[in-house]
Amino acid sequence: MMRRMIVLPLLAIIFTAALISVALYSEVHWWGREHDRAIREVLGFPSIAVGTNYEGTRNPLLEIFVRSLYDVPGGYDYIVSSSFIDTPVRLREYREHIPGFNFTAVKG
Amino acid sequence: MIHMIKKHKNLLNYSFDCIKRYRMRTAVILITFLVATTMISAVLFTKDGLEREAELSVEAAPDLTLQYLKGGRIELIPYSYADVVSDIPGVEKVLKRTWGYAGVGQYTFVVVGLDPEGLGYSRGVITSLEEGRFLTPEDEGTGNIVIGKLLAYMLNVRVGDDIILLSESVEVNKFHVVGVFSDASSIYTADMIVMSLSDADSFFSMPEGYCTDLCVYVSPAEDPVSVASKMNSIPNLRVLDQDLLLRGYKAAYGARGGIFTTLWTILLVAIVLIAFSQAIVVGHESQFEVGLLKTFGFSTLDIIEVRLVESLVLGFFATSLGMLLGFSYAAFFNAPGLVDILLGWAYLPREFRLPVYASLQSIFSIYAVTVIPLLITTVVPAWLNAITDPELAMRRAAA
Repeated sequence: MMRRMIVLPLLAIIFTAALISVALYSEVHWWGREHDRAIREVLGFPSIAVGTNYEGTRNPLLEIFVRSLYDVPGGYDYIVSSSFIDTPVRLREYREHIPGFNFTAVKG
Repeated sequence: MIHMIKKHKNLLNYSFDCIKRYRMRTAVILITFLVATTMISAVLFTKDGLEREAELSVEAAPDLTLQYLKGGRIELIPYSYADVVSDIPGVEKVLKRTWGYAGVGQYTFVVVGLDPEGLGYSRGVITSLEEGRFLTPEDEGTGNIVIGKLLAYMLNVRVGDDIILLSESVEVNKFHVVGVFSDASSIYTADMIVMSLSDADSFFSMPEGYCTDLCVYVSPAEDPVSVASKMNSIPNLRVLDQDLLLRGYKAAYGARGGIFTTLWTILLVAIVLIAFSQAIVVGHESQFEVGLLKTFGFSTLDIIEVRLVESLVLGFFATSLGMLLGFSYAAFFNAPGLVDILLGWAYLPREFRLPVYASLQSIFSIYAVTVIPLLITTVVPAWLNAITDPELAMRRAAA
């Protein structure tokens, strides 16, 4: 009876310890990750190969944001905008924190 | 002292018994917390992994990337800019790069032409190849290429095979595969076709003396930002430094992860409400029990301790198990279903696994938004019951 009662608390401790171990392993793995650094240095692309099937995926910085407004006055690229919870124009990061992202026309 | 330990041990045993006794509440809390934490942890860990991958790429990227702007649009940059920039104090090396996109089947691949001068510039040895070798300066103009696993899998090619690619100008280009990138580097190389600069110029029919962009490496003793500021007066030049790129990519992946985080927040509110309603129901059911306990000499603090232990056990069990399941779901199964929401229109080549990063920060954040609300929603009703007069509580429960 007593043994059955402590199963859940015991499992709670085991799962929490296992999770912390996974997290520690993950932290160490990611901080020591160097195996493909040389190829990244030679190629020099800042992005990764999560392709979007349209051009601009690998272009340093510009397309990843500007494509969301597209290159047509008043135009709007739904491909990127569909990936955002909000329109990029309204996101503070795009206006204040990324100097390379230049708005020529901002309402208000 | 022994008396105190014995008392707490008995309270602990009583709490464990309560978990078993109030089966419905236990089941509801376990199931809802398990589902919610599995989903959110899979997304958060994947988002963290993507962010970290982008961070690693940016850290390894050139100190400065130069683009040529005309009318606000990026155009090809003249080779003469490389000479101008080389003369700026603090600049160690300027490498030309021609790159672009090529459609093969239904996918878009990245064709990269590397400056022969830059092929030996890496600070480490390239070990990211599954078979064959990487390009050397002698490969200039020979048609030798190194390809990612996605293309190798699609075209079923190996080292030593020849492939024919059709360019935008509808010209047939024959290339010879000398190397295939490894699975381990696929997150970066899956969509790559790497060749020499002159081969890429010929493939894209580039005008003489132009390339796509310039990669600038700054002397280790110099600050890239101050070197970049010396380029302000060069006409039509756009300078991207690492910090700018890093903030850009973090914002992009963060915003994508934001979709799901928002949905999950709504789910979390629902969970808190469920937990609260269960606590109220149990609180009502346990009114008689609490009255009886108080008559036997339990203090208000003892009753709160019992409920606190119950909630901690349930919360940690469900949340820890949920996060372990979420981690396995993303790391071993590539998070089917969730990954589509996270990547938007992006696709995930079959050849690589999702980068999953179970950071301590994310784990503690999830604990904070699950276990703490659960503690509050169970302890408060327990406290309200405990401060009621025991006789009145038992009479109410019996009524």
